[in-house]
Amino acid sequence: MKKSEPMSESYYYILLCLAKGANHGYGIMQMTEKLSRGDVTIGSGTMYGATSNMMKKGWIKEIMSTEGAERRRLYQLTDTGRKALRAEINRLRRMLENAEEV
Amino acid sequence: MAAEYKRSFRMYSAWNYMQEVEDLNKLSDEGWQLVRGGCFHSKFVKNPDIRYRYQMDYQKIDDMARYIEIFREQGWEYVNSTFNGWHYLKKLYDPALPDEAYEIFTDRESLREMTGRWTRFATILGVLFGIMAIIEAFRVITAPNIPRFIQLFTFIIESGLLLRGAFIMRRTEPGQKLRHDSLILGIFFACILIGAASNIILDDMRPNFNTQQQADEVFEPIIENRWVDFDVKYPDNYYLDLMIKADEPLTFEIVNEADEVVYTETGTDVDKKDIRIKLPRGSYGFRMSVNSGFELECSID
Repeated sequence: MKKSEPMSESYYYILLCLAKGANHGYGIMQMTEKLSRGDVTIGSGTMYGATSNMMKKGWIKEIMSTEGAERRRLYQLTDTGRKALRAEINRLRRMLENAEEV
Repeated sequence: MAAEYKRSFRMYSAWNYMQEVEDLNKLSDEGWQLVRGGCFHSKFVKNPDIRYRYQMDYQKIDDMARYIEIFREQGWEYVNSTFNGWHYLKKLYDPALPDEAYEIFTDRESLREMTGRWTRFATILGVLFGIMAIIEAFRVITAPNIPRFIQLFTFIIESGLLLRGAFIMRRTEPGQKLRHDSLILGIFFACILIGAASNIILDDMRPNFNTQQQADEVFEPIIENRWVDFDVKYPDNYYLDLMIKADEPLTFEIVNEADEVVYTETGTDVDKKDIRIKLPRGSYGFRMSVNSGFELECSID
C-alpha cells in the first residue's frame, strides 16, 4: 500500500465534517470551529483552495441542494474521499499509539 | 450629491501585498472605500459612514460563482480582479470580531499554494533575466561598450530582485506583516526603463544600410574605392549580408580609416548571410575591384 501523505489540517476537518452527510461551505466552517473548540478555523481562501483541490482528487463532489427556494452548493464525500479520511485517521492513531509506547 | 472619487497610483511589490491590504484598511477608516483595485492604479469612493477590511488573493479560480459564494458565506464581498490575477475582497468591519476573522488563509499549506503560484512565476522570470544577463555578459566580453554594459547591469539587477522577491514570498507566513519596500520596486522599474532605453540607443547607433552595384559590361578593370562610407559608433559584432555575381572573380573589401582591410571576399558567386565581423569604433568604407559584368549587393547592421 502506498504510504499516504499527511493531510493539511483544513483538508482533514473538511472531510471530517462531511463524513455524516453533505454540507455547504459555511456549515463546514462552523462545524470545524465547534469540533475543534475554536482551535481550527477555515478562512474563505483556504476553503476555496481546499475544496477545489479535493474535487480534483475526487475526494468530494459538488451537488446542488433542492431544499428551499435558494439553490445552494453542497459538498459530498465520495468513496475515495472516505478512504483517504480513514487512512489519515489510522495514520494519526498509529502516531498517537507510538507516543504512548514511548 | 455627486459621489466623490479619488485615484491612487501607488504600486506594491507582489511579495509585499499585505502592505497594500493594510493601506486599503487605513484608507477605509479614513472614509475612502475601494471601488476597483489595480496593479498600477486603484479607484476609491468617499463614504465615511462605513468601514471595511480588505484581503488580496492570488489563487487560480476555476469557478468564479463558487469562489464568490464561499467568500460571501463568511461575509466577504468580491471587489474585482486585476489583469494579472490578483483578486480584491472586502468585509464589513466589526470591532467586536478578532483580527483572525479577517484572515482568508488560515493554514500554512493553503497560503503556500497561493504564494507559490507567484513564486514560480517570479522564479521563471528571474531565471530568464539571468540567462539574458549571461548572454549579455558574453557580448560585453567580446565587444565592450557602455550601453551594452548598462544593459548587462540592469539584467543582473532585475534578475536579482525577482529572485529575492520569490524568496521573500515563499517564506511568507499566515498573518505576517512586511515592511514596505517601494524603493526596491522603484529600482526594478528604473532598471526596466534604463535597459529599454540603452537598447533603443544601441539600435539607433548601429550602421544600418544596404547597397547595390551592378554593371552589365565592363571594358576596363574597375577599382571602386570607398563608394560607401559608414561610421561605427561603438565597438561590437556586426552582421554582413553579401551577394556577388560576376563573370570574373570580384574582390570585395571593407577597409578602415587607415586603409587596412578588415574583411575581404573574392568570388564569382557568393551568397552569405549574417557574417559576423567585429568592428572597433571608427569610420569604414567598402572597396571592390572587378573586370567583368557583375552584380553586388551588401548590407550591414
